[in-house]
Amino acid sequence: MKITDAAVYPYPLGDASVRRLALQAAALGFDSIVAADAPSGTYAGVEVRSGLMIRDVPIKDVIAAAKRYRDSGRVISVNAANNSFNRAAIGVKGVHIIRGIQNADKLAFDHVAAKMAADNRVAVDIDLSPIIGRSVARQRAIHRYMDIMVLEQRFEFPITLSTHARSLLDMRNVRDVAGLCSLIGMDVPDVQRALAGVGTVLTPVEPSVKVIA
Amino acid sequence: MSPRPPTLREKRRYILARIEPAGILLEQKDLYYAISDATTSLWGDATTAIITPAVVALEHGYVVVRCRRGTERELAIALSTVTACRDVHICLQIVAASGTIESLRSRFRKKGPHKKEAEPAPAGNGAGEEPVLPECTFAKKTFLIAQCNGQKVDVIEKGFKNTNRLFLTKDDLEDLNATTISDRI
Repeated sequence: MKITDAAVYPYPLGDASVRRLALQAAALGFDSIVAADAPSGTYAGVEVRSGLMIRDVPIKDVIAAAKRYRDSGRVISVNAANNSFNRAAIGVKGVHIIRGIQNADKLAFDHVAAKMAADNRVAVDIDLSPIIGRSVARQRAIHRYMDIMVLEQRFEFPITLSTHARSLLDMRNVRDVAGLCSLIGMDVPDVQRALAGVGTVLTPVEPSVKVIA
Repeated sequence: MSPRPPTLREKRRYILARIEPAGILLEQKDLYYAISDATTSLWGDATTAIITPAVVALEHGYVVVRCRRGTERELAIALSTVTACRDVHICLQIVAASGTIESLRSRFRKKGPHKKEAEPAPAGNGAGEEPVLPECTFAKKTFLIAQCNGQKVDVIEKGFKNTNRLFLTKDDLEDLNATTISDRI
């Protein structure tokens, strides 16, 4: 099980280089990070996975991007929008994570989308940056995440945790992440499962029946 | 007025946190306001009154925060939401919790203060002039090295327009084409 921060933004999107983010992640107790628009590799014992964040595009562009980068080893994530878009995005082969659910409308992720996410092994990302920040957005995010966790308990779709750090100072250690997740009703096993969420969605599904001959 | 006997005093706990980025100067009072704001914003006035956070020491890049015993978890979560102190972007990384300040002091004395290898070069005659920081180049721009500790290098762009801190490594500075996306890290 690899403890992964599912989204960080290295320079030039953020103020730290990908190597420095990897160094910091190692110091904070992470085994791997998903870095947007960065090459994949290993630095200071931390595995850096290249992340592709798709946002504000129609579903046909999501399908095209997923088809193009499906076998590239990138972690493909799509920003959530309305309910029909989310259901369609979850059904696209190659999409690993649905992000920004806290900013989508209230009915954007319902029980049908949750069932589809569980069946297609698409994770829902819990972005910790609105919880770390201070505004009404924090209250709304906590409320939405608690709702997501109710659906997760029922349908058992994968969850990922991310700090969305654009600065080195936005990263938090694993203990802090667990503390912040306790605000949305996640207990320690839930947090452990969520921190390993990226590994879960990237592992190919083994068929339950194996044909030998 | 005689002091209250120890058995009747309220039990307290102390949390040691490291201030990042290393080398920035903060006032103890400003940091107290930042922590108090974060705690009140997260837990509300009633719970903050129970936690009673207080900054009791600020030394060598570490801060010791006091709270009532049993509220360490709440204070630790609140500390992880501290993002700024007087408009300076900071982060508090919790190191340890203890029942005495002295044990925490021994802990950061053992670890040592945040090292600062990038010592400013002495200026011209050495009196009345600002010290000159060493320079480096990254992404075809010139930066001043503000902090250097092992592999970690913090730089500030030279000039007066953009004074944001960039967090790099020595490998980044050695890599001439650091901005191009290569097939390796």
